[in-house]
Amino acid sequence: MIHVPHRDPFTVFGLPRSLDLDERTVEARYLRLSRECHPDLHQGKATGDCIAVLQRSAEVNDAWKVLRDPWQRAKALLELLSPGALERNKKLDPGFLAEALELAEEVSFAAGAQIAPLRARLQATIDADFEALRADLARGAFDAAARRFHASHYHKKALADLDAKS
Amino acid sequence: MTNVAAPTNTARLVVGIDLGTTNSLAAVRTGKAARVLRDRDGEALIPSVVCFQPDGTTIVGRAAKALRLSLPDRTVFSVKRLIGRSMRDVAEDARSLPYEIVAGERDLPRVQIGAQQHSPEAISALVLQQVKTTAEQALGQPVREAVITVPAWFDDAQRQATKDAATLAGLVPVRILNEPTAAALAYGINGSKDGVALVYDLGGGTFDVSILRIADGVFRVLSTAGDTHLGGDDFDVLLAERILAALPRAGAKARAEDPYVQQALRSAAEGLKIRLSDALTADLELDLGEHGAVKLTVTRAEFEAAIAPLVQRTLDCVQLAVKDARLRLDAIDDVVLVGGSTRVPLVRERLAALTGKPPHTGVDPDLAVALGASIQADVLAGNDRSLLLLDVIPLSLGIETLGGAVQKLILRNSTIPTSVTEEFSTGVDNQTAVDLAIYQGERELARDCRLLGHFKLRGFPPMPAGLPRIAVTFLVDADGVLRVTAREQRTGVEASIQIVPSFGLTRDEVRRMMLESIEHAEADYKAREAIEVKHKAEAMVRGTQKVLQMAELPPDQTYAVMKALKALGKLLAANADAAALKAGCDELTKVTTTIADDVISAAVTKALHEEQQR
Repeated sequence: MIHVPHRDPFTVFGLPRSLDLDERTVEARYLRLSRECHPDLHQGKATGDCIAVLQRSAEVNDAWKVLRDPWQRAKALLELLSPGALERNKKLDPGFLAEALELAEEVSFAAGAQIAPLRARLQATIDADFEALRADLARGAFDAAARRFHASHYHKKALADLDAKS
Repeated sequence: MTNVAAPTNTARLVVGIDLGTTNSLAAVRTGKAARVLRDRDGEALIPSVVCFQPDGTTIVGRAAKALRLSLPDRTVFSVKRLIGRSMRDVAEDARSLPYEIVAGERDLPRVQIGAQQHSPEAISALVLQQVKTTAEQALGQPVREAVITVPAWFDDAQRQATKDAATLAGLVPVRILNEPTAAALAYGINGSKDGVALVYDLGGGTFDVSILRIADGVFRVLSTAGDTHLGGDDFDVLLAERILAALPRAGAKARAEDPYVQQALRSAAEGLKIRLSDALTADLELDLGEHGAVKLTVTRAEFEAAIAPLVQRTLDCVQLAVKDARLRLDAIDDVVLVGGSTRVPLVRERLAALTGKPPHTGVDPDLAVALGASIQADVLAGNDRSLLLLDVIPLSLGIETLGGAVQKLILRNSTIPTSVTEEFSTGVDNQTAVDLAIYQGERELARDCRLLGHFKLRGFPPMPAGLPRIAVTFLVDADGVLRVTAREQRTGVEASIQIVPSFGLTRDEVRRMMLESIEHAEADYKAREAIEVKHKAEAMVRGTQKVLQMAELPPDQTYAVMKALKALGKLLAANADAAALKAGCDELTKVTTTIADDVISAAVTKALHEEQQR
């Protein structure tokens, strides 16, 4: 099974291909596009038109899901700028994996007063990941950006596990 | 019925229908005002109860509910808990419901009444028909199209089954709408409610919670969570157990299996629950005849201790919904209560304690869903372009992969319509079909999710294994119903897709039942006509007798009238059929209308009118 990506979400929204989009602008655009193409406001059309409206509406909703989330937006941008980069760079440095494993253990043993500082540390790490990813993208280092993206998964997973404990 | 203005015939009429576990009702929006549709007695709520009488006639609504105790095994309620589900899903309900539920074809639940089996869809269709008739009487025009609400947490099979019930009832379901979303429309329609709303909907049989962001006429559902098997019915069951425990132990087994006892216990429990919403204690005296008698007092504290775990389950759902909406509890601006079970004080207290907000009670919790459905109906009819509803799919959709795991294709709380395309190939040379099993649910393994059906993609040209590239698009439409299309990329062949539903009715079954209902419609019409003619004939006999006493007629006219009157009286006494009675009535009309005197005609009319009013 191979996933077939959607049409470029930036084009669907008529916005520039950029990591830094103003959230309010994106949301306002989403609501405007929804009003234009939601099937509810196109009742009574011929069947063929209905399906086109349905597909266009699905496209807008699916693009919104990507653009509203900075990480999803980064992933889509990377895939557009360097197709296949994410697939090519799945293998991570063994040193990093050892670190990630240690982090997971720290999370599973964390209790009481240890939790709050650990959460702050994880959040800071994830934020740093994102800033590094932004820099990678800006200088065209797409393979590095892809590895950065995959690595951040382990940090996000650790944070989610920590949240699930409390 | 002169007080209800019918909508102008130029606007397309689409009504909103709340098909509830306990009660059902319709509403309509004309101009900017939504209102519920009431019957001749001014009642809006139609109990979702169907009584199959021994003589083969069916009664729906209040009259059927009144027969719960006299015909306990023939009076069906809470059928919404069975619709679109498998026998295994409903095993628990089957034990506590007084009517008999058996496994029919494909292990689907069927309600057994005497020698007859009825599908939950067919029984829901009877309730919908009653709602449709009531709406038509209130509006003075036929109703065809409707927006019908379902719990947000209903899965694809339950939605499809509800659509089938509507079709069987002669309705066109233009949209299946989530109940909490509908309630939010009714609540936030006046535009002053922009912000984040949490809708807590605890009905008779189901619980839903939805979180919406309302801004500039756009109602955007951020998340939804719930439980299709949690509601006021479960509170009743707990109270019924309490009553049962107070009865003498002797004969307990026979008692538990007796449908009369079950109905009586449920009714008594429901009464206790309602009284405990206002009072701190409630007394019960129940005489079950040969099954013993009981006298007990239940305190609100006892009741609350019993239902506390159920209420906690709803609060867990609230927290999940808040998390899925990527919000914190303090971001919620308003809490909206929907469903009759939100009248229980413990529910209100616990919810207020969790959210820190007093619940909003401006909209009647029994009517909010139907009113909201009528607003969405108005939008879909094209009468209001200022409103837009963006809803979500409640449960993730996925396909079974090797090893029995489920690969999620569309995640829960995705805004609909939504789509995803995946490419598949073949594993064997010259394979021309691919079989995909579609599952709905959040669990990792297929056996823990609900099988929606098998999608068979057929008609690919034979090719070596691995060469075909079959792009399958899963599209969830605005009803939340899945559509699948497939295309072989190399040859451009569009594969035909056959959906084999695991639950509910097959397309053929729906067609067959439609035909049967049309046949029955004619029989039903004839039966009704016969009754009407009989009443008319009786009224004419009484009226004409009165006229004969009042008016001085020439002897030959008196004779002619008396002759026709006697003939009609004989036909009535002999239980003659409708055609003969009609001929008799016509004959009598003919002789009375030849009476020249206007005064006499007026007397006839007046007397007849008085008789018909009786």
